[in-house]
Amino acid sequence: MIEANGVSLQYRDGTVALNNVQLKVNRGEFVYITGPSGSGKTSLLKLLMGIEYPTSGYLSVLGRQISRRYAGKIRKMRREIGPVFQEFKLIQGRTAMENVIMGMRFLDISTRDLKQDAKNALAIVGLEHKANSRVENLSWGEAQRVAIARAVARRPALILADEPTGNLDTENAVNILQLLASFKDKDTTVIVTTHATHLIDAQKDVTVVHMEKGNLTVERRGK
Amino acid sequence: MRLFRNTGYFFKEAAKVLWMNKVSNFFSFLGTILVLFLFGLVVSGWKISDRFVEMLQKEAEISAYFEENTGADEAEELVNVIKTMDGVWDARFVGTEEARQRMQEILGDEAYILELFEQNPFEAFIEVRIDLSKMDTVLEQVKYLKGIAYVRDNRDILKQLQDISRVLEVLMVLMIAAVGVTTMVIISHMVRQAIYQNRDHIYTLRLLGGPNRFIGFPYLLVGMLLTLLGGCAASLSIVLLLREAYGRMGGILPFIPLPSLEDLVMWPTLAIMGFSIILGLLGSVFGISAANREKRS
Repeated sequence: MIEANGVSLQYRDGTVALNNVQLKVNRGEFVYITGPSGSGKTSLLKLLMGIEYPTSGYLSVLGRQISRRYAGKIRKMRREIGPVFQEFKLIQGRTAMENVIMGMRFLDISTRDLKQDAKNALAIVGLEHKANSRVENLSWGEAQRVAIARAVARRPALILADEPTGNLDTENAVNILQLLASFKDKDTTVIVTTHATHLIDAQKDVTVVHMEKGNLTVERRGK
Repeated sequence: MRLFRNTGYFFKEAAKVLWMNKVSNFFSFLGTILVLFLFGLVVSGWKISDRFVEMLQKEAEISAYFEENTGADEAEELVNVIKTMDGVWDARFVGTEEARQRMQEILGDEAYILELFEQNPFEAFIEVRIDLSKMDTVLEQVKYLKGIAYVRDNRDILKQLQDISRVLEVLMVLMIAAVGVTTMVIISHMVRQAIYQNRDHIYTLRLLGGPNRFIGFPYLLVGMLLTLLGGCAASLSIVLLLREAYGRMGGILPFIPLPSLEDLVMWPTLAIMGFSIILGLLGSVFGISAANREKRS
């Protein structure tokens, strides 16, 4: 599913975001990437989405090598990913339903299924009643749920969520993490970045990747 | 297939993009109508002048005068010889009496002058209708025929008319270039502006794996719709103008042989619509590629 071998990422200004990263994630795993701000969590996610390319090392996601050379293939690879961005990246002026459908239009989903799948996804995140609300009129938490609905409606092989608990109180943060955990199955891998380590301390059957100044350590927790 | 499946979505997106900058897009639309309207006018003018020159070319003729003491049989023989020449549409004998009658018709009220002559002053000649492009060859051949004293032609006038027609053709080419460049600048600028304003939306679609053709198609439609609608409006204006002006043109300039109204209307309409489709497509493509270049730089 994901294989990183000696991956480093250095930005143009010289900042080293990732340093010789070794990581292997299997299909159906639930992975938390934790660490303080600036530890490289978002940079790693950007690499996994093909937004950035490794400066050195080998990285493959969903069987495709992440490299500038394969930019076209990386765009296709993104169709198999359900991203939940830190700032949501919902399309303003559109309803929740339109936003969810927008992420599915270029996938192999029939016209008949588009609306139904979007409806189902909104129902899963508890926002069926807000389907026709414009996203700019939704609360922070609701907008985040729309972003999650957009990600899961695409039936992705990999869900990548960047700091989904960032601006939420503990109760809502736990709910969001539980919601994301519910999408994990034998075919779907979920990777969540969070700096709220206290929320995941007690969690079982997960892989926790601790990041610190671009280096990482992997902890696999059994059931 | 997915492109067809999303047709409704593409049109809705295009409408949203157009609505987003309604004031500036409205003026772009007006500009496009005006430019295409001017183009239509030039095409109409060219069509009229082309018809005029074509008619004149068909009417191009030379007059071949006989040597003294040329008999009727020899004259008829000469007419037959000239008829067989390459570049000659027709040749006919004009006798002295017919030549006098023609002059009477030309002089009208002043024809009484001819009464002052005791004898008919006009000579018989052969009226030769020719293909203007072969005038020089025909002239040379006729001039040296035995029994022909000299030849008169209206070459200078015809050459001037040909020059005018060429100038109009050059003007049309320049107009096509001006319309092309102006429309493409308007459309590509508008598309680029729309892409810039929707850059977050576009970036999100890219992150979600949207293919370039899916992301770019609504912007292509924006350019196409604007030029097509502009073309329709310009065509309608041209049709209305020509219908109104056709009768008057015939009255004011009776010597100009106008093409039929259907013909006159059809050409600028076809030219405007064809041109607007091509320009809309090219303008949008340039706009999209310019926006992509800006993004990369």
